[in-house]
Amino acid sequence: MPCLSIDQREIDVSPGTTLLEAAAALGIEVPSLCHLEGYRPSTSCLVCMVKVCGTGGGRLVPACATLAEEGMVVESETEAVHHVRRTALELLLSDHLGDCLAPCQFACPAHMDVPNMLRQIGRQEDHEAIVTIKRDIAFPAVLGRICPKPCEKGCRRQGADGAVAVCQLKRFAADADLASAQPYVPFCAAPSAKRVAIIGAGITGLSAAYYLTQLGHACTVFEAQALPGGRLRHEYSPAELPPEVLDAEVTALLRVGIELRCAQAIDDAARFSEVRGSYDAVLIACGGEARDYAFAWEVAAGARGIQVNKETYQTSVAGVFAAGNAIRTKGLAVRSAADGKEAAVAIDQYLRAAPVTGVVRPFSTRLGRLEPEEVRQFTTCSNPAPRTDVPPDESAPDRAAGQAQRCLHCDCRGRDVCKLRRYAQQYGADPNRYAGQRARFEQHLQPSGVLYEPGKCINCGLCIQIVEEAGEPLGLSFVGRGFDVRIGVPFDRSLDEALGRVAAKCVAACPTAALSFHEKQSKLLPILGQ
Amino acid sequence: MSDLDLTFVDRTLERLGRRPEAVIPVLQALQTHYRYLPREALQRVCELSDITPAAITGVSTFYTQFRHRPVGQHLISVCHGTACHVKGAELIHDALRYQLHLRNGDDTDQDGRFTVQKVACLGCCTLAPVVQIDSLTYGRLTPHGVPEMLGDFLRQQGNGAAARRKLGARPAHAGVGEVRVGLGSCCVAQGSGKVFQAVQEILDEIGAAAVVKRVGCVGMCHQTPLVELTLPGRDDSALYAKVNAESARSIVLRHFKPRGIVRRVGYALTRVLDRLANDEDSQSLAQAALEVREGPVCAFLGPQRRLATDLSGQIDPTDLDEYLRHGGFEALRKAVSLAPEEVVAQVTASGLRGRGGAGFPTGTKWARVREAAGSEKYIICNGDEGDPGAFMDRMLLESFPYRIIEGMAIAARAVGANRGVFYIRAEYPLAVERIREALDRCRQQGLIGPNMFGGAMGLELEVKEGAGAFVCGEETALLASLQGQRGMPRLRPPFPAQRGLWDKPTLVNNVETYSLVPWILRHGAEAFAALGTQRSKGTKVFALAGKVRRGGLIEVPMGVTIRQIVEEIGGGVAEGRTFKAVQVGGPSGGCIPASLAHTTVDYEALTSVGAIMGSGGLVVLDDTDCMVDIARYFLRFTQDQSCGKCTFCRVGTRRMLDILDRICGGQGKHEDLEELEQLARAVSAASLCGLGRTAPNPVLSTLRYFRDEYVAHLSGRCPAGKCKELIGYYVTDKCIACTLCAQHCPAEAIAMTPYVRHHIDLEKCTRCDTCRQICPTKAIEVR
Repeated sequence: MPCLSIDQREIDVSPGTTLLEAAAALGIEVPSLCHLEGYRPSTSCLVCMVKVCGTGGGRLVPACATLAEEGMVVESETEAVHHVRRTALELLLSDHLGDCLAPCQFACPAHMDVPNMLRQIGRQEDHEAIVTIKRDIAFPAVLGRICPKPCEKGCRRQGADGAVAVCQLKRFAADADLASAQPYVPFCAAPSAKRVAIIGAGITGLSAAYYLTQLGHACTVFEAQALPGGRLRHEYSPAELPPEVLDAEVTALLRVGIELRCAQAIDDAARFSEVRGSYDAVLIACGGEARDYAFAWEVAAGARGIQVNKETYQTSVAGVFAAGNAIRTKGLAVRSAADGKEAAVAIDQYLRAAPVTGVVRPFSTRLGRLEPEEVRQFTTCSNPAPRTDVPPDESAPDRAAGQAQRCLHCDCRGRDVCKLRRYAQQYGADPNRYAGQRARFEQHLQPSGVLYEPGKCINCGLCIQIVEEAGEPLGLSFVGRGFDVRIGVPFDRSLDEALGRVAAKCVAACPTAALSFHEKQSKLLPILGQ
Repeated sequence: MSDLDLTFVDRTLERLGRRPEAVIPVLQALQTHYRYLPREALQRVCELSDITPAAITGVSTFYTQFRHRPVGQHLISVCHGTACHVKGAELIHDALRYQLHLRNGDDTDQDGRFTVQKVACLGCCTLAPVVQIDSLTYGRLTPHGVPEMLGDFLRQQGNGAAARRKLGARPAHAGVGEVRVGLGSCCVAQGSGKVFQAVQEILDEIGAAAVVKRVGCVGMCHQTPLVELTLPGRDDSALYAKVNAESARSIVLRHFKPRGIVRRVGYALTRVLDRLANDEDSQSLAQAALEVREGPVCAFLGPQRRLATDLSGQIDPTDLDEYLRHGGFEALRKAVSLAPEEVVAQVTASGLRGRGGAGFPTGTKWARVREAAGSEKYIICNGDEGDPGAFMDRMLLESFPYRIIEGMAIAARAVGANRGVFYIRAEYPLAVERIREALDRCRQQGLIGPNMFGGAMGLELEVKEGAGAFVCGEETALLASLQGQRGMPRLRPPFPAQRGLWDKPTLVNNVETYSLVPWILRHGAEAFAALGTQRSKGTKVFALAGKVRRGGLIEVPMGVTIRQIVEEIGGGVAEGRTFKAVQVGGPSGGCIPASLAHTTVDYEALTSVGAIMGSGGLVVLDDTDCMVDIARYFLRFTQDQSCGKCTFCRVGTRRMLDILDRICGGQGKHEDLEELEQLARAVSAASLCGLGRTAPNPVLSTLRYFRDEYVAHLSGRCPAGKCKELIGYYVTDKCIACTLCAQHCPAEAIAMTPYVRHHIDLEKCTRCDTCRQICPTKAIEVR
């Protein structure tokens, strides 16, 4: 029974135990991409490096294949070891071709999960679609009418036959929700006993209140005007934004349990300090007017508005935050919506006495600009129909679904399960650190529905092992060597033939979703509206 | 391709077996037959054998030897070894491609006559730059000499192969003179085969009391072809350097009289006529004669001490009787008479360390294999010498096959192994041929086989050829290759001593290590340990090449200094140049600057200055060599040879190369140096096997000693004038407008302007260096 120590904690293990297993027994998660229980260690990704000190002489070894020995002194959670793991991840990322998240999602200031929404609309899962939308945008029916649609400028189909009608489809989903018997009200966490005062019931303030309430904090919104809505009330014509839509949407979001006090201006020092005194945090979200009051409120301000930390929206006064047009001149409405959501996250951190860091940006590798030829491959996975408008009074849901199916699915099918992405986020890896020349992006869709994206493969060889173990007659193998090594099918036969009966097992084992299932064959409805 | 005759596949499998591990020999046979690997043939192999489609795909795409596309009638291999690189291999390659009108991405000319490929190293480093066309080797090439080379090759083809005779050995007789001709691969490349034939013909013609004898490498590669004559009853000998077929006749006639009066008279007549035809004869002869006591030869041989290369240039490599006459197999006899533990103890006491590079104590390794459980054990000779710039093992295998066999047999006796394999890289056909021949003779005489020394031991040895993968020099990759797999290293432990070939305990030693063993057994561990330094005992064989006057194969006692090797043995760098650095240890080694030339040949001393002993490549660099380019050269090599398994080596070396490419191309940024160094350290600390762990050494050592050159590149200047993107060619006023440069410029970048100073169009100029080499007045300047 070898006894060893990992990060100064001792453990007895049975002979033949790997360091990876020994660490797991201690509750230490050593990251690994290429390791799969029951299979030979590939010792390929080398993300699982640990340092063996003492007799090991400070050597770095892969934990997945190194057997525990008596008296070993192992380091796992140290900066030196983390540095090596990060470097391994950064090297893998430098040769990893794909977008974790779609360009449209990055183009949207609120980072709305556009592709997921489109797939849900495409499957006519209306409720799921509104849940997805409202996770990031509190005013979809409003923005669906007035947003200048930066997301569509990021759409890869833009340069070909027109961007997917993201904005209209969002409005379609939101309208359907508002028209339904029971518009969606999200689940709210148990009350935290913290109270937040929000100055201004515009798009920023109400958005912040909406998300803070979901996080369990009691919100009171003070509005100087008689009606909520802020600039939404006067910047748009009734044709652009019918007041009844605004009213309906505000009503819907107040249902989470927001206290709205209209005609209550917080316009002098006394009222401001009163609010500060009776609430645990204050968010200034009253647009351009904030600049006028800044001096009275004793918060630092500049020409553009109240000065804040860009990540956390904290002002110069502790517990006071500012967002929306209070901190910038003439931001897009969608920017204000994003600000409200992001400020809510920072305020929540503040209220929980957690480090106030603001929103954690989701990790994503980015392909950047694609050649038309590369974009064309995506179209094999989507509805080839051209763009058509989805009018506001859309009664035929098939048409909306058909338009939603035009989405190319630029985001990775493995974005939520990919180990590379998970560890890259955890270890703070910079995907561009070792950026080299980009290879051609390729997608190979098999008749069975297996989608192979060679650029995402990290050559762990698990699929080779699985196919070999299953005794598939054709098999898979590494082809070539060195940097250009790749997974190949003998004699240029098909991947379906090589994967044979164990395709699903290979897809499940693939750490980076270089192998995945294309939903055309699984959940997506037949392509509609052609 | 349906008309492809596949019956050869059937016959090959009949001959080589149908087991999965037969895949490499089978592929080699198919490629020799079809000249590439036709898919139909591969599919046929899978149908008829246990070799799976996945295995044949994986293996046939791993090793560079295998081709999946038809090749031209003739294969041109351009050596990209270190010595060739520093002497302009890239320019030769460009010139060849230009001559054959190869387009980007093509490697075969339009007529399908020639296919051009780069090869890692042909091991003829002293003849650099070297090109091999089929089996003919051309050395000391220049870009403008390329058309002439192709012409010569085609002429020789025209003459037919009939002229070529098998270079055989003749039995030596006491009391007869000997004419010894060195027939190592590089000597043959320099024309010693023709010399051998010429000597044989003239001896036949005059019926002299002498035999011509092929001997192994003499080591003086800078003087090849070498001919040495010994006369009956005399101890001294006469040595002639740089002999050609014509002068060989004269040399022989000078020392041996035609036998019989009739012949003598008849010969005298023709001789007079010969003289008339060529009255410079005697003068050129005098120039070729070397006195062994003479300065340069003396200096070259002086500090050397021959253990592994004992009897170099004196014995016929495959003449077993001669080896036995010189005490061959006495050491094995002695080993058999001792207890195996005692043999291990002697090797341990000698202080012998692995000569493959890492310097692991040989005795300790043997003891581990001896102590490992199991009755079935293997012994392997690692002859996969892949370092560009190294050819020691080739020379030892070609010249002293019996010594290595004996060393292996002693090791087998010591560790208790009864089966063994020579793993020799396929680029060394002569070494393979000679080891096979030597093994056959040993078997005939019972020196190797099931029943040796009256049943005291049994040992079966076979030869396996590598297929072109440097990484197979790594022992676990070598084992994978022997088992018919892709040569991918695995994590150690377990070490081969515990789990090696077919999971049995296996001893893997390098060629040179084995070749020292018989000497140790015969002369005693103390004698061996008396040579060398505190921790590095005995001698080390080096392939001395690069910018040195006297390149060759040398064996020196440990502890001599780099300076002694470069200046005394090698005669220093060429006139007018300055000695800048030596590259020791090839792609795993480092560059030692001239200022540290007092460093001794010693494992620890070399490691402490950032190099390694390595297998023994030693390339001398002068002030025209760019150190950033050298670092990039080695990295390109390791990057190309990486098996592709682990992240740090597969991607890390590529990213390092990206940075170096940027720097050499004048696109480097200041933070690149820091980034390069950091990445180099990570790759070196975390790669899975020795290849990756040592790959950053050339970069780290040049960054350490020649950082100023890197910095110069960042500001767009290559101080050595080597990096193409950073230099230009200019005509100075020394130009006499002779138009030679314009005539030879392959890129038409120089207009023909008689009587007017020429001008080089830098847009068109490919920096091929031809104009500078051809200019009679040195009027071309690089800056």
